[in-house]
This record gives sequence, C-alpha cells and structure tokens, in this order.
Amino acid sequence: MIKIDSRNTKRKENISVEFFFETARDKFKLKSYTGEIGFEKLICDQNIHRPGLALAGFVDLFTYNRVQIVGNTELRYLQQLDSTQRRQVFERLLQFDIPCIIVTDGNTPPEEMVSIAQNQGIAVFGSEYSTTKLSYFVGDFLDDQFAPRVSIHGSFVDVYGVGMLFIGKSGIGKSEVALDLVERGHRLVADDVVILTKKGENVLIGSGTKLVKHFMEVRGIGIVDVKSMFGVRSIRFQKRLEIIIELELWDNTATYTRTGLDNKTIDILDIELPYVKLPILPGKNVTVISEVIALNYLLKHFGYDTAKEFENKLKESIRKKTEEKDNRTINYFEHDFE
Amino acid sequence: MIEKEVTIVNNAGLHTRPAATLVKIAAKYQSEFFIYKDGLAINGKSIIGVMTLAAEKGSMLNLSFEGPDEEQQAEEIVNYFNRGFDEL
Repeated sequence: MIKIDSRNTKRKENISVEFFFETARDKFKLKSYTGEIGFEKLICDQNIHRPGLALAGFVDLFTYNRVQIVGNTELRYLQQLDSTQRRQVFERLLQFDIPCIIVTDGNTPPEEMVSIAQNQGIAVFGSEYSTTKLSYFVGDFLDDQFAPRVSIHGSFVDVYGVGMLFIGKSGIGKSEVALDLVERGHRLVADDVVILTKKGENVLIGSGTKLVKHFMEVRGIGIVDVKSMFGVRSIRFQKRLEIIIELELWDNTATYTRTGLDNKTIDILDIELPYVKLPILPGKNVTVISEVIALNYLLKHFGYDTAKEFENKLKESIRKKTEEKDNRTINYFEHDFE
Repeated sequence: MIEKEVTIVNNAGLHTRPAATLVKIAAKYQSEFFIYKDGLAINGKSIIGVMTLAAEKGSMLNLSFEGPDEEQQAEEIVNYFNRGFDEL
C-alpha cells in the first residue's frame, strides 16, 4: 500500500516575488514599473484580490497579503480623483504589507501609485492581458505553486493515454513491466521516484524528478536511458494519474476481484483513484494485463462498463427463464378444456 | 519499524560509489528501507532513487527500516553512513 505522511508530502509555504516575476514574465506578458524593488517579498497566499473597496477606503477586511490585481474599473475610479486624493488613497492602501500589484490590460499605473509603492518597497507590474484572463492565469499559476505534492516509489507509464502507476515492493518487477510496456509502444513518465502534484480539486499529475528524468534501473543490467534507447516517442514529461496498480506475489489467503464489479479505490491527497491489486504468477503476462486494464478503463470512460454489461446480460437471462416458466403455467391453462 | 536520522559526513557526498554500496547492503536484508529528504520518499534498495537525493555533505536524511531483520539492517546502514562511506 502507499504510505503518505509528512515525510513524503511537501507543500510550498511561499514563493518570492522575484521567482514569480522571473517564471511568469513571458507567460503573463509582465513588465515591472518599479525595477527590482520588492523582489525579496514573499507571496504566501494562493488567492488573488482586486482591491476595489480598499481603494475606495474600506480596508476592514482587506486581504492585503494576496497578489493585488488592478483592472480597468479601479483605474477609472482613480482617474476621476485629483492628484492629492490619489496620493491619499495610495498612502492608505500601500501601508499594508502587499506582496505585489499587477495592473492589467496594458494600462500604465498612476504615477502616485508607482512612487509610493517604491517608497514602501512593493513591486508594481503591468500585464497586457485583460483582468479576467490574467486573474485566471495568475490563479492557476499560484494554485500549481502551492499545490501539495507527494513522492511515491513506483513506475509511472502512459498506457493508451491512461496514466498507470505501478507500485509494490522493491524487486517485484515494476521497472520490468514499465520497460515491457515501453517496448510495446507505450510511454514512460517516470521510474522509481514519482512525484504527484495535486491540480485543482480532483486531478493528480505525475512526473519524474529533474535529475532522473527517464533513466531506469533494470536489475542485472544497470542503468538504462529510455529516451535515447527507445526514442522520444517512448517518453513523456507529465501525465494525469488515473489508475494505481499494486503488484504483489500471489497470496493464497488474499482475495482478488473476480468480476470487476467491486471497484476498489485508494485515497491520495484527498483524491479517490481506482486501485487494482495484481498478483504475479509464473506465466502471467503483467504487461498485457496492464494494457487490458487500461482499455477496460477507457471503455468505462466512454460509458461501457464490461462487468456491469455482463451482469445485466445475466440478469436478463435469469428473468427470461422465470418468464418462460410463467408461460408454461399459462399454456397449461390454455390446454385445460373444461 | 526503526527510524534513524543520519548526516552525510564525507566531502564528496552520496555519489555513485557509496550509493551503489548502500543499495547493495540494503538489498541483503528482507526489510524495507526508505530514505526521506526534502519531501522525497526514496526506496533505499533502488540505485536511481538513492542517486536522486544527490545528498551533499552536511545534509540530513531520515531513514526507516521495516521488516523481520530491521535491526541488523539499520545497524549496518547507519554504521556505513557514520563511517562517511569509508571515505574519511
């Protein structure tokens, strides 16, 4: 089973404004109006805020510790104030410990804003994107940065587009199964150390570590580079995790599913994922079985649940038999001439 | 389950040779051996995993041993760490 505790989970507590700017600069078409001022500040909250009410003077519940986004509405409001009023507004707003401010839609921030922000050591950025678009981008970026991640020992392969994670004790043959799947044209995401990142509320994205990438250890051979050996089509960098398969030696006392109706799930970072326990036996081709599991998953995804279909057929057949019996009783009455 | 904390003491850190030896020692025993560092959970019987750590001098690692022969395994491995992978 997968062990998840504080030792293998990680969540960023904060990111620096510098990291945010350097990473997101090109993606969000950002430019800085305050040079490198305020780059050492930390963003500790993944949410964003539009400081409309705070600009108007209501600062009671001002979530100042978030990235502040100033759009057309805020700027129009500021335009109709005179310079002294604007100065007052910004002096009140920027006394708070704001991580950074982004002005959207290619607008230039008011002079008063830039000069007071500079004094307070707060970065002011501008973006070409509209407020709605930028809010989405920044929200998604921060969501990803602050997402919880967990590191798991296993092999992660994309089989027919289905992300399958193989887990099990060391030496059971996870890497060998992965290698076999790659040989059959599937794509390796990561071997040995798999890092799963929570994306949104119900998606886990798996990837390898920077150092290992697509290297793999095969017992008896040593280290193998899958990318150079099987080519670029045999790898991918990230994949959504969809099924977890635990390989284990055949255990007489354990019960394995026979019909597929009893779907087991496993909980990782509060996300439920289908979980299959696969016993290993001599003569059992785990690779082919894995492919079948992936295809079955795809069928289910497209609305065809094999186990359910079979169950329905069985039910139908039983129902017909009982009906036939009823028919016979009626037939009996028909032939009963009185 | 036994849990230990060790520090890398040799100058070169946990590079290829000690990683290979570490994995070899770990694999002699039946018990599961895991290394935890910076939110990574590494199976100590896997060479790639151990090398992923790229643990430098002075870094601290948490070790866990679980299985029928965990005591002997823990002793030999912790000893190997403390000897600085025989590079001191």
